[in-house]
Amino acid sequence: MKTSATDLELAIQMDEAARVAHELRLKRDRQNRNGRILKHIFLIIVSCVMLYPLFWLLASSFKPENEIFGSLTLWPSEFRLDNYTKGWYALPISFTVFYVNSAIVTGLSVIGNLVSCSFAAYAFARLSFTGRSFFFALMMMTLMIPYHVVLIPQYVQFLNLGWVDTYLPLVVPRFLASDAFFIFLMVQFFRQLPRELDEAAMIDGCSPFKIYWAIILPLSLPAMGTAAIFSLIWVWEDFLAPLIYLNDIKSYTVPLALRLFLDQEGQSAYGQMFAMSVLSLVPVVIFFVLFQKLIVRGIATSGMK
Amino acid sequence: MRRFFARNAPAYVFLLPWLIGFFLLALGPILASLYLSFTRYDMVSAPRWIGWGNYEYMFTRDRRFWKALEVTFTYVALAVPARLIMALGVAMLLDKGLRTIGLYRAIFYLPSLLGASIAIAILWRQLFAADGVVNQVLAMVGIQGASWITDPDTSLYTLVVLAMWQFGSPMLIFLAGLRGIPRDLYEAAEIDGTPGWRQFTRITLPLLAPVIFFNLVLQTIDSFKTFSSAFIISNGTGAPADSLLFYTVYLFNEAFKFFRMGYASALAWFLLVIIATFTAIAFFTSKYWVHYENERD
Amino acid sequence: MAGLTLRNVGKRYGALSIIQGLNLDIHDGEFLVLVGPSGCGKSTLLRMIAGLEDISEGTVSIGGKVVNDLPASRRELSMVFQSYALYPHMSVRKNLAFGLQNFKVSRTEVERRVAEAARILQIEQLMDRKPRQLSGGQKQRVAIGRSIVREPQLFLFDEPLSNLDAELRVQMRAELASLYARLGTTMIYVTHDQVEAMTMASRIVVLRGGKVEQLGTPQELYTRPQNLFVAGFIGSPKINMLQAKATRGAGRTIVSVAGMPDFAIAELPTDDQALTLCVRPSSLRVGSGDVTGQGTIRLVEYLGSETLLHITLSSGQVLLATDNGRTPYRMGDPVTIGFDLSDLHYFDSAGQRIEPIQKESQVQ
Repeated sequence: MKTSATDLELAIQMDEAARVAHELRLKRDRQNRNGRILKHIFLIIVSCVMLYPLFWLLASSFKPENEIFGSLTLWPSEFRLDNYTKGWYALPISFTVFYVNSAIVTGLSVIGNLVSCSFAAYAFARLSFTGRSFFFALMMMTLMIPYHVVLIPQYVQFLNLGWVDTYLPLVVPRFLASDAFFIFLMVQFFRQLPRELDEAAMIDGCSPFKIYWAIILPLSLPAMGTAAIFSLIWVWEDFLAPLIYLNDIKSYTVPLALRLFLDQEGQSAYGQMFAMSVLSLVPVVIFFVLFQKLIVRGIATSGMK
Repeated sequence: MRRFFARNAPAYVFLLPWLIGFFLLALGPILASLYLSFTRYDMVSAPRWIGWGNYEYMFTRDRRFWKALEVTFTYVALAVPARLIMALGVAMLLDKGLRTIGLYRAIFYLPSLLGASIAIAILWRQLFAADGVVNQVLAMVGIQGASWITDPDTSLYTLVVLAMWQFGSPMLIFLAGLRGIPRDLYEAAEIDGTPGWRQFTRITLPLLAPVIFFNLVLQTIDSFKTFSSAFIISNGTGAPADSLLFYTVYLFNEAFKFFRMGYASALAWFLLVIIATFTAIAFFTSKYWVHYENERD
Repeated sequence: MAGLTLRNVGKRYGALSIIQGLNLDIHDGEFLVLVGPSGCGKSTLLRMIAGLEDISEGTVSIGGKVVNDLPASRRELSMVFQSYALYPHMSVRKNLAFGLQNFKVSRTEVERRVAEAARILQIEQLMDRKPRQLSGGQKQRVAIGRSIVREPQLFLFDEPLSNLDAELRVQMRAELASLYARLGTTMIYVTHDQVEAMTMASRIVVLRGGKVEQLGTPQELYTRPQNLFVAGFIGSPKINMLQAKATRGAGRTIVSVAGMPDFAIAELPTDDQALTLCVRPSSLRVGSGDVTGQGTIRLVEYLGSETLLHITLSSGQVLLATDNGRTPYRMGDPVTIGFDLSDLHYFDSAGQRIEPIQKESQVQ
């Protein structure tokens, strides 16, 4: 009868179709797998190329002087620590002083940034006041001002105040929210907190200051953390401002000390120079490894730097 | 009147540090800089008004000014696209749901964090020196490497490579942008039989355009501000033969080496104009890429 | 405990006027519900009372004192938010105690009040949890608890049950009602749900477009709606509205409704010829009434305790009637539907309620 014949045909066709589909799928999976393997190989190569300079720096710091430019091999023939021990004291002032200086400047700057920027961000994000949008626009515009434009007048200003050769020109601006990027970062974060929290707190008897302290700040630890990390890394690596304001070698921060090293010993003691360079990067790398998630999220949400 | 104070006082108290900073550290200096640019000022004696003298010298007689512009613009024109292309390429590779994405992301981003440091600048100088690692690697492949750093024709490229090395931060932004593209678009294209590269040009690029543009503007503005690496690698002078005379380095030397503060201020103001122009272009054309965002919604 | 007076209150956002010339007297100790469709200004009004929004015009007085310039923290009131607004980083206990600590209440007193509120709301076992560990209903209770401990003179509720599921909403309604019975403090409650309004309020304010449409007890609003909007808003299922024509005669009015026979009533105090007649679904009867008309059953919705009948009249007009649920109706059946004259509400062409004039002289 017709029915069984067409049923059989149908069954055969379906079987055929299923087989073809299965083969296509296998082919695609194979391609995907090959593609994935290729991708991984490529990424691994790129990673190695990217990291090689850092590894080379690290390796060279452990090699005796003559070996550094001799071969490409990363592994030193003998592990020497004297680049570090000698380099630390190679300059007229030991690096201990330089690290302490950097720590002081960085620490104060981070605190200043966190306090002043969170204040401003709170005002912009949570309080309504006449001129808010105007000042906010002004603040955003300062983001595009290159430091070099304000550099000279600021220098003259600080010179007249007698602040040159102190840490004041480096630290005080941080307490005046000079880095608008952090204000922006925090404003974005604050805006995500529900307004009803502020309102409930108001009804619960909180002044704006109390709301800032007891409600907004505790809920903003991720943003504060991100700001602290970025602030720390950028101030630690800052070169131009210390270059201008610090004349006395005793007050040098690590970047300035490295440059001095380059000038004085640069042609002869590469190993030591590399060793000191490695040490200057160590805090940054450590903080990066510890707070990677915060940093990555901070960039993605603010889209800068 | 009193109500005005009561209403606004708390906000202004919170805003006070920034307000002080804005007037003393931003607005004031910008205006002062403008004023100084019309003077001759060596910090020993008071500024002396010379009208357009600085600008006239700058544009008509100062060859180093034009050299600095040339160096800086060349750098920007090379470094920014190179960095963005690498960032986009790697971001696209990483975007396809790799499990180890976190690790790669970290590896690729780390150089961005370190790149502005003196240590890296010092390292770079040695890597590209005549007897440096780069030449050793090239020697293995049989290529005779030049002395990259000391040759005026090639010194700028070492910095471009340094910029490329730091593709991590725009890469993160691209990753975030790519994540915003709905998967179904690719799946629909797959079903339609669209080849991979076509998917890229027809789906990825158009939808990513706002992010690309954003990154482009950001990186450009940032690149104009390059200082420490150029300073260190060129020994603070823009050597060899001014091939590394970045605008910022030139400005720095005019101000703090030769104490020609008035002239340096003019240079600084011109830099501001350049950057402001780029930013203005960004805001002006942002209608187009903000428009994209709304369409996507 | 305090009453409120709103005199000529208005709210403007730039050129846009949300509320205008609003007058309201809220009695001490009453449960007043502000109800109305979205955008009618009820939440804005509540927030102005709370001090969370500026008052553009007019005065708000609490307990006889004008509070326009008084910040929210000093108005001695509590508020329960639609989204509960619990402090996420504090435990339930801390959430409850926070407000009191701001007002410098002694430690022992704080503990006493917190424990008492926890007992009343049955949240004692949740005291050390964080808000994210609580269910919707539990968060609601904590939010209410937070407002109780303050022992305010005025409670404000901003659609507190909207985020709960239907069953929980019914339960919480009862709990709020018993809370009110226990505390007796003045409560102002905002909702868009007229069922909540009808079941909980001592008086209801119906708002539309920033204006008071009617103020009265639930009974008043239900039995004597002052305008078409209130008639349609209060009561579920919605009241039936019929277009009618009035012809004035000698001392009486003939009312013509399409699909129904004309009928005569006492004189109406209006010259309008176009009227709207309203009759509640519960007032429509199958098969009997002062005035009856013929129709076809268009849809039967059986609810168990009652049946909702959608009936199409010969004029095409659809009426909604409720029946006791015992008679099985079928779609398409012809049916006689009627109402009594005493169940009718009349509204003039401007939508205002009009009553047939009782001729005193007729009552000898």
